[in-house]
Amino acid sequence: MDTALSQQSLEEMLDTVVREVTETTAGIRLYHDTQPPAGELCTIYITFQKGLHSGISLCAEAAMLRRMTQNFIQSEDVTLQDLEDFSKEYFNVVCGRVAAILFKTTKVAARFSVPDFYQGRYRPDGFQDQFVLTYSSDQRENAELTHHVPHQDGDEIMTTLT
Amino acid sequence: MGKRIMVVDDSRMVELQMQNLLEDTDYRIVAYCRNGEDSIKTYGQVLPDLVTMDIIMPGMDGLETAQAILEKYPDARIIMVSSLAYEDTFDEAKTIGAKGFLDKPFDRERLLATFEKALAE
Repeated sequence: MDTALSQQSLEEMLDTVVREVTETTAGIRLYHDTQPPAGELCTIYITFQKGLHSGISLCAEAAMLRRMTQNFIQSEDVTLQDLEDFSKEYFNVVCGRVAAILFKTTKVAARFSVPDFYQGRYRPDGFQDQFVLTYSSDQRENAELTHHVPHQDGDEIMTTLT
Repeated sequence: MGKRIMVVDDSRMVELQMQNLLEDTDYRIVAYCRNGEDSIKTYGQVLPDLVTMDIIMPGMDGLETAQAILEKYPDARIIMVSSLAYEDTFDEAKTIGAKGFLDKPFDRERLLATFEKALAE
């Protein structure tokens, strides 16, 4: 069984999952873009504790997460707590889907932490970015999905599976 | 009288979603627990017809919690609710005696179908 996952495979998998879950849970379609998020930001972060030794974060403009929360709870009135609770649940679904696809393709059972929510941009200590996927919504709100891997030496960064 | 449901999930969003989806049905939520430890205590007080149990939770995860409830109450009907929808998790849920698996995100139709199937067993 393969113990490493190519960056391209993981990028394609994450890209498919984040766009599908965002549309299914919050009714917002994401498009590829090059413009990083700016202004008021929030970050949701998880670490894989079993199977995949890495972390994934989504840094998004708060306006986009607010709109996603409004769509999910079907109410215009959204508190910061609502936004945090929705964002964590949404990212939990994204990462669960990633783990499910990972299992189908590699038979490695990945498990991950409860998502953490931060106001602003968050970068985990001891990790480096393997790749960043940038998106914009139909209302030009931007978001970045980053795959973080432990600091490694060498030219090629591989994602290790166990 | 409707069937009594206990929801175990650390996310308040799931509570809201369940409330919305179960409106005008024969199911009513009688208890809501945010973690596994609370749900083990609450189960004995409430004795619900059905439990929905999240897997990824702080502290005891849903599989450990379901196992603990089923050891004490072997007739408990527990449905695992998670986005970790793959064979390894399905097998683990089945082994501990869960009556069903509902993968997130879910809609009203799938929620009710899973409830009906679990209660019919």
